Amino acid sequence: MRIEKCYFCSTNVYPGHGSAFVRNDAKVFRFCTSKCHKNFKMKRNPRKVRWTKAFRKAHGKEMTIDSTIDFEKRRNVPVRYDRELVQTTIKAMKRVEDIKKRREHAFWRQRMAVAREKKRAYRAKKASKAVASVKLVEPVAVETTRTAGALEKIKVPVKGKSSLIQGEGRSMQMDVD
Amino acid sequence: MGRVRRSRTHKSQRDIHRASRTRARTRDLDQIQLIDLDPKNRAALEAQPLDFDKPGLAQHYCVECARYFETDVALRSHWKSKVHKKRCRALKEPVYTIEESERAAGLGREGKRTSPSTLMSTAV
Repeated sequence: MRIEKCYFCSTNVYPGHGSAFVRNDAKVFRFCTSKCHKNFKMKRNPRKVRWTKAFRKAHGKEMTIDSTIDFEKRRNVPVRYDRELVQTTIKAMKRVEDIKKRREHAFWRQRMAVAREKKRAYRAKKASKAVASVKLVEPVAVETTRTAGALEKIKVPVKGKSSLIQGEGRSMQMDVD
Repeated sequence: MGRVRRSRTHKSQRDIHRASRTRARTRDLDQIQLIDLDPKNRAALEAQPLDFDKPGLAQHYCVECARYFETDVALRSHWKSKVHKKRCRALKEPVYTIEESERAAGLGREGKRTSPSTLMSTAV
C-alpha cells in the first residue's frame, strides 16, 4: 500500500481516498478531491494555479533545495521487515520533521523580511508621489459680497417647554373616549 | 414585449463537461511536447494512411493542436489562427508532468537524484 500524491495539488492521497484517471497510455493521474479533478478536466496548469504546491515551489515560496526533502522517495525495492529498522526509522522521521519545520520557518522569515522591505519602499515611493501632486495655494482675501442685512440675526421662536421632561406642558395621561 | 437581451453575450463560455468526456479527449500537452513534436513522430503523423473514420480521411492533421482538418486550405488557415499560435506558445514552456507533481510534494525517485535545477528553470 502506498500514499500517493495528488497530480494537481501534490497533497497526500491515502488508500481509499480520492480518485484516479488512467490515460490511454497507462499513466495514472491521482486526485485528492473532486476540486483537483475538476481543475484537471478544465486543463489548467497546476504551475499557474496559486494554491498548488507546484506553484509555490516554482515561484520561490517554499524551499526547493534542502537535505530534508531528499528523504521521502518512491522506493521500488521491498525491504524485509525488521523491528529494529522500523523503530530507528520512526525515530529518524520525527527528528527530520523537526529539523524541516525549523528550516521552513527560517526560510519563511527571510522571505517575509524581503517582502516587508519591498513594501516599505513601495509605500515611501507612493507617499512621495502623493506629496508632489498636491499643490498648496496661498489663501487670498476674497471680497465679501454679503450685505449687512444678511448677517442680521433672525429670531426663532423657541419652545419654552420640553416634551422630553415628564409632565412639562403635557399631562402623561392617555385620552380615553 | 420585444427582445430584451442582446445577442452575443456568451463570449467564451465553453461547455467543459461535454469537452472533458473521456471519449472527446485528444492528446494532452505533455504527450504532444514529449512525443509528437519529435521530428520522426511528426513526419509519421503528418503522413497518415487513409482513415475513413477521421475528418478529411486523416490527411490534414495539425500536430500541435492534435486536430484533423477537412481540407488543406482549412489546415493552412488554422496555422495562421490565434488558437494555433496560442497553442504553440503553450508548448514552448516545459510541460507539467506527474513527476513534477511528485517533486513538488517532496517525493523523489530512488536512483535518480532530485534535481532542483529543473524545478527552478520552470519558475522563469
